[in-house]
Amino acid sequence: MTNDLMLLMPLIIVGAGAILLMLTSAFEKLDNEITAYGSAIIFALAFLVQLSACITGKAIVFSEAFNGILVVSNFSKAAGLIILACGLITALSSQTYFKQNSFCTPEYYSLTVFAASGMLLLTMAQELISVFIALEIMSLAIYILVGYDRKNVISTEAVLKYLMLGAFAGAFFTMGAAFVYGAVGSTKFVKISQFIASHGFSQSPAIIGGSLFILVAFLFKAAAFPFHAWVVDVYDGAAAPITGYMATALKTAIFAVFANFLVIDGSLQAGWIKYLFYISVFTMFVGNLIAIGQQSLKRMLAASGIVHTGYLLIALVAVNSTTFTGSVIAFYLAAYAAGTLGIFAALSYLGGVGEKRQTFEDFKGLAKVRPYSAAAISIFLLSMAGIPPTAGFMGKFYIITSAIDAGQITLAVLGIISSIISMWYYLRLIINMYFYEAQDQFSDTTSSQLAPICTFVLVVCVFAISLYPIII
Amino acid sequence: MFEHVLSVIIFLPILAGLLLLVTPASRTIARVTGLVISLATLVVSIDLYASFASTGHLEFVEYFPWIQSLGIAYHLGIDGISLFILMAGSVLLPMVYLVFTTKEKGYYANLLIVQGAMAGAVCAADMVLFYVFWELMLLPVFFMLGLYGGPKRLPATLKITLYTIAGSLLMLAAIVYLGVSYHAQFNEWNFAISKMAQLNLSGRVAAVAFFGFMIAFAIKTPLFPFHTWLPDAYTEAPTATTFVLSAIMAKIGVYGIIRMVVPVFDEQFARFAILLAYSGVIGMMYCGIAAIAQKDFKRMLAFSSASHMGIIALGVFCMNIQALTGSIYQIVAHATSTGVLFLFAGILEDRTETRTIDDLGGIAAKAPVFALFFAIAMLASVGLPGTNGFIGEFMIILGAIKFNTVIGVLAGTSLIIGVCYMLWMFQRVFFEKSSASSETFKDLSLVEGLTFLPVIILIIVMGIYPQPFLSKITPSVALQFSQNVPVVAQTVTTNALLPELTIEQK
Repeated sequence: MTNDLMLLMPLIIVGAGAILLMLTSAFEKLDNEITAYGSAIIFALAFLVQLSACITGKAIVFSEAFNGILVVSNFSKAAGLIILACGLITALSSQTYFKQNSFCTPEYYSLTVFAASGMLLLTMAQELISVFIALEIMSLAIYILVGYDRKNVISTEAVLKYLMLGAFAGAFFTMGAAFVYGAVGSTKFVKISQFIASHGFSQSPAIIGGSLFILVAFLFKAAAFPFHAWVVDVYDGAAAPITGYMATALKTAIFAVFANFLVIDGSLQAGWIKYLFYISVFTMFVGNLIAIGQQSLKRMLAASGIVHTGYLLIALVAVNSTTFTGSVIAFYLAAYAAGTLGIFAALSYLGGVGEKRQTFEDFKGLAKVRPYSAAAISIFLLSMAGIPPTAGFMGKFYIITSAIDAGQITLAVLGIISSIISMWYYLRLIINMYFYEAQDQFSDTTSSQLAPICTFVLVVCVFAISLYPIII
Repeated sequence: MFEHVLSVIIFLPILAGLLLLVTPASRTIARVTGLVISLATLVVSIDLYASFASTGHLEFVEYFPWIQSLGIAYHLGIDGISLFILMAGSVLLPMVYLVFTTKEKGYYANLLIVQGAMAGAVCAADMVLFYVFWELMLLPVFFMLGLYGGPKRLPATLKITLYTIAGSLLMLAAIVYLGVSYHAQFNEWNFAISKMAQLNLSGRVAAVAFFGFMIAFAIKTPLFPFHTWLPDAYTEAPTATTFVLSAIMAKIGVYGIIRMVVPVFDEQFARFAILLAYSGVIGMMYCGIAAIAQKDFKRMLAFSSASHMGIIALGVFCMNIQALTGSIYQIVAHATSTGVLFLFAGILEDRTETRTIDDLGGIAAKAPVFALFFAIAMLASVGLPGTNGFIGEFMIILGAIKFNTVIGVLAGTSLIIGVCYMLWMFQRVFFEKSSASSETFKDLSLVEGLTFLPVIILIIVMGIYPQPFLSKITPSVALQFSQNVPVVAQTVTTNALLPELTIEQK
């Protein structure tokens, strides 16, 4: 019982913290600064608790306490760790971001914590209704955060798009859950697994249709082809720290539950593997095509997020449902999160008032004026491109190894070709930063040091994750 | 001297370079640091060379597990094949800091990083570690080329970067394929280069993996038809970068073929050797002919370098002891001669502010020492007997004729092209009428002269008395062939015209 509580403690801290922040934000005395620090403390506390659970505890399934609907595994712990770290960085860089942008209220930070509690729940959920509830806790908070800048037309457009499409995805999910329940008579993953094992995956139309609908919802949230169209506009419309948060923490949570669902039975995964193969290939190449044409940095990063979803899908295709540990996925997510969050933390303080610096052109000559920031961004870009000795390289290496090990050589080679193409737009920003004279002095950036500190901490992370790959 | 000598050679320059980049050091401090560090590396390397026992196996081995679940290790070691490339880097690079004294901080810092990364790629005995250093050595080149290159540097930078990254990412897939195959065949994860030779690879996927490696190395070398990035990059790059690219980095491409492709993909290699050998010969001829037509002497040297890389690669593809030993010898010879020629070209460009051959003339009368040094390096490059270029080329041609008479004869005749463009260029630049831009040409200063002197002496010594150098190379080469019975066996049936001569085991 105590052990179960300890395993659940990060979720409890984050959930209670979110409610606490929401309540206290009604008081006028608490300004944005204090709530920012408050949310950072909550994230940090939960992170430390999770870390201690990761180091000491063995994976305990508390089937007693929650009737098997929540399961803590090493994979969910790792995913939770990534999510909490992303939340911490987001809270800190938001503080800097809102020195230059004025649409902040204390509720903003409460919502980031709410979203994190949904994500944490999502990583542990082993039952369809819980997954849906967690998904909605997370999504509702994220919808509001995307549209937080109410006076900004782009932001409003983004939230409308995301809300409408997200609602569809949610509806698809419930529909799928209903189908599966109709066939199995239970929504628990364990029961579904038993049912498929005894009846066979392809024998039951309700299972095939239900799992299709559920996969559609996951693919939508994970920004995979053909459900990727919203990504670029939504990422562009949201505030830089929120975009970073969505690109990393949200994706981590979705892939955690996606992997958990996919591995419940070997034949379920085998039934969808052929389609996931094509989805993965198209996601990579369509993402690349979108990214190549972008002029705006955020839109390029959004499109590159689609490409990274494609790489993660490679890992999903290659997972083995009997010996599933999720370590490859968790490692790649950590590596990707470090790089992406780093860039968005840097954008939070380099973007200027109202994010006026957006395009590749605006960052020309950054290396001449702010050499350390330019170097940090270059390292993040190289990590995302998968150049050693950064974390991104190790992540990609594991993914390719797992794919070839699973016999998916074509997929691995296509992944490699996709990352060759992606070099072009990552290099383009580095070239813009380094090989041109500075046109902008970047002198209006704020005095707050939190986002720059986050950026440099993440630079260390990018190398540390690569050199000490402990999770694997 | 001490235990982790290879790590010191690798990481001393890298750390110093990074330190220079993050601190606001002035350019003088940067240059002095670079000089001191590279000289320190040279001292350590000479000590290493002296205590190298030429057993044929890896020496100075360092081994630390890195990613145990996949059997990846921080595993270093050198043998007779890698020793000379390592030495070439350590001997040649200090010259840059003495000759080019007025460059920026980033220039020297990147040079240090690339030196360490190249040493790492040469010393790595684990494929993943090799790949890490292999990619790492591109980054400083990218920044040096983009920041300090000529007017058309941006297209050249993109070309070389995308080209080499495309090649190396395909190699990454091939490396992973090898690791997975090893896991499948021996039920153990391992990425050690020496272990991969035990793999039994056949089939279509193995052939694809073979080309994954081959294309990566062919791009870096560069081998025809993957050489198209070379003229632009060599011409637009600052002198030190061109020097690094041609003198050492290109050799690491050939080294990769010797170390990773030949032992591991013995069957595929034997199957495609004749194709590769022809691509080497065609590269020699094509780049040689292209060099004749160049108006820009740096670009001409670029093509000349590519042409010579063709013959070095040919030596590897011939699959016999003579040719391989010749290749390794020629790697050093080419590094000294062409490397020095590029440095001379840099000096010429700095002092006359032109790269056009027609704008120059009569420099020999103004600068006799410079002309003499240039002539020696040039003659070594064309392979005049008495210089180190001759020994290597002679052995390669010998091996090539044993391998396949047609290829041997073609390679031999295309050497004449080299003489054509080099001597013609020398005549136009150093003799004939004096032109306006070479009127005020100053001879080498004492420091510069003394900097080049050791290398010039090395060129002659290696040409006259090659035995001490060859004796360090031969054991490793012999070991390489003793491990690869299938290669020789395959050669007999498929490629060689004189089968009985190809058997080189005894």
